Amino acid sequence: MRNGSRGDRGFRFLGIAVPIAVVLPLIAAFHWGQLGWRDRHENYPSRPSGYAQIVNRFGQPCNAEARAISMRWRAADNGVTYSFSFHRKLGGRPTAMVSDKGGRSTNLDNDVYGHIQNAHLQPYVEHGIYGYACRAKRNSNEWSTHAFGIAIDVSSAEEYMGKCTSTVNKRHAPIWQNHNWYWGLAFCDPMHFQYATNY
Amino acid sequence: MKQRHAIVAGLAAGVMASAGVLAAAARTAPNPQPYGRPIGPAMASDTGAGELLVGVIGGVFPSRQEAEAANASLVFGDLQGYYVVPVAQFQGFKQDVGEPGDFALVSVFRTDEGANAFAELAATFGNEATILPERVRSLGGLYAGLGQEANPDGSGPLLGPVTESLP
Repeated sequence: MRNGSRGDRGFRFLGIAVPIAVVLPLIAAFHWGQLGWRDRHENYPSRPSGYAQIVNRFGQPCNAEARAISMRWRAADNGVTYSFSFHRKLGGRPTAMVSDKGGRSTNLDNDVYGHIQNAHLQPYVEHGIYGYACRAKRNSNEWSTHAFGIAIDVSSAEEYMGKCTSTVNKRHAPIWQNHNWYWGLAFCDPMHFQYATNY
Repeated sequence: MKQRHAIVAGLAAGVMASAGVLAAAARTAPNPQPYGRPIGPAMASDTGAGELLVGVIGGVFPSRQEAEAANASLVFGDLQGYYVVPVAQFQGFKQDVGEPGDFALVSVFRTDEGANAFAELAATFGNEATILPERVRSLGGLYAGLGQEANPDGSGPLLGPVTESLP
């Protein structure tokens, strides 16, 4: 009697566990399978430290390579799609998700963007998304890292300059950091991610 | 004989030591700079005195205080937006907007492409940006953003006059 009951419970357990074991990975893999996205991690430049290294690796500010690649990114909160440019060395290499834009690496438009989509963190990308701009830093006469095409501002209205905490970008900041981007929260600019340090 | 050996050994040791020093110095020589010498992180306060420039205007105000307050309220992310300058420092400016004594939010450029790029940037931040229909002559004065545009040859920022900006 006890053996039969234990056997029934075993069958019931298997009846639930096996479908879950089959279906759950399929649900989890939905985005990978549907979009064909993979983190390619190809041909990343090493991250420069300081102004001289930035110039040696990415060229002078406002050079043509600094705005060679463009991409579009839709803000989750207002639905506006932002189009912005960045340096040829930081993306634009063809993958299953990205068309051939003549870029050198898979960093930004395939790997960082793909990770954020795949991890369902897109709801934390809010309006105000900007890349290359041939301008100085705010209230300064020094070139901004945006002038080299190596900086991206994300959720800029919510994560404004001067705010020393983060509310939305903190959700996806580790993805940027894992792909060599330095987060501006360290200098109270939580919208800002740059592919350089000490500048 | 011993003395000659000592001299030869000394010479050999000296040559080897200098070769070692040269090799060490070569290994620590700076890497070649593929894009030329860095122009420096700080941009020169170029006013383009005497040049004919394209102006992008964010507003005109009767006093410096009002202009600066308006400028501080404009959002340009972590980028520098407009500069507050007196209207009178540009010849031909008052024919388009403003009167002598007024202060304007301005950024000036040597090329139409530079002015258009900045006007687009301002618009994406939701800021007013009017490109003056005629070029204005800079009389010097305060820095108004000149140099923050790409050189048409693609090498870097445009740091000197172009044909269109020369009077």
